[in-house]
Amino acid sequence: MAAQNEPVGPRPLRAVPDDGYPDWEAVYQDNVAWVHRTLFARVGNRADAEDLTAEVFLAALRPLRLTASVGEVRAYLRATARTVLAAHWRETMGREITSIEDIEQPPDSEEAISTAPQRVAKVLDSLPDHYRRILELRFLQGNSIKESASELGVSVANAKVLQHRALRLAAQVNDGGQP
Amino acid sequence: MNARGLRRYVDDLLRGRRPKPFAPDDFEAAQIRTAIELRAARRGDDAPRQEFLSDLHRRLAGQMSVAPSEAAPKPNTTRRQVLVGTSAAAAGAVAAVSIDRALMGSPTKAPAVAGQLTPNDGSWQRVAASSDVPDGIMHPFDLGSISGFVRRVDGKPEAISGVCTHQGCRLWFDAPDDRLRCPCHSTSFSPTGQVLTHQLPIAPKPLPVMMVREVNGVIEVFAPQRDEPA
Repeated sequence: MAAQNEPVGPRPLRAVPDDGYPDWEAVYQDNVAWVHRTLFARVGNRADAEDLTAEVFLAALRPLRLTASVGEVRAYLRATARTVLAAHWRETMGREITSIEDIEQPPDSEEAISTAPQRVAKVLDSLPDHYRRILELRFLQGNSIKESASELGVSVANAKVLQHRALRLAAQVNDGGQP
Repeated sequence: MNARGLRRYVDDLLRGRRPKPFAPDDFEAAQIRTAIELRAARRGDDAPRQEFLSDLHRRLAGQMSVAPSEAAPKPNTTRRQVLVGTSAAAAGAVAAVSIDRALMGSPTKAPAVAGQLTPNDGSWQRVAASSDVPDGIMHPFDLGSISGFVRRVDGKPEAISGVCTHQGCRLWFDAPDDRLRCPCHSTSFSPTGQVLTHQLPIAPKPLPVMMVREVNGVIEVFAPQRDEPA
């Protein structure tokens, strides 16, 4: 330990560069949350979102050169996530269910991560009252079918039918509203 | 058409389970899409779990530590080349993951060595009388601009910062366990400043070491100049 030595003179002052990451850990730490949220918004369950997020980073980090700017790294991660999600749907459902679109906004912005809340709000608004209520109770608030039935004052069997029809109608509205 | 497959898929989404695949027709695919969006619109539910983050970090550390030497950057590599080749990368990743499994038993490499805290414009400042710091004692000090702990190793004083390298909470010394503890996220450091335990996705850096000397019965640390009031 050189603790007894007198300190050397200060180094020149440098501005922090606004692009680039020092190491892969910084890339991971700075981006894992939005990648996970982006995928969760498109698969709707944690298990798949975690598997796909892991796949993105395992595939993307090794070939990544740290000379790339933060913006380039994020664009590359989003592109990798798009490929990984497309492969997931091909392998499981044999067709594309959801996708990661090309967008203008930065990949870590709320608009890029998910437009589901806005789209869902619009769809729910257009549904008849009972249909809207059952979807809110079940999907947004996470109530059981039993709890939802008693909330709506209907039987469990009725609540199931209601949910089934509500989702059909919502899907028609949702897809009709798509570009 | 596969009404049962669809019903089960939606039910799994609602129960937070991994849905079972089936072959949907167009309208069923649209319903799944809508169900996913409805489920994903639930508030505050899409942030990754802490355990998942740590586990993936460990897997990545394994992969990155066995990176082949040809992966070293060539001086004439352009950014364009950087951003290509996802599928080749994916294949490489699969190989790396299986190697990673074999390495999982060994502890992950500790991050960067502790830096030395050396202020640009500093002076030697008293932190304790020599007699205040007998062997085996962790003596806290606070100079305003910096705070830390001084102790003796083989009779010579050593000093480390007393501020957690994660988010700057002030550490306290847990004498029975011989470690510094962070009140914020249960991180703990050894008396030399190495991270002993943490529950963060990425291990925080070790504590910076300070320059310390002992003259005329006084222990001093090289610390920033105090701002004199005007």
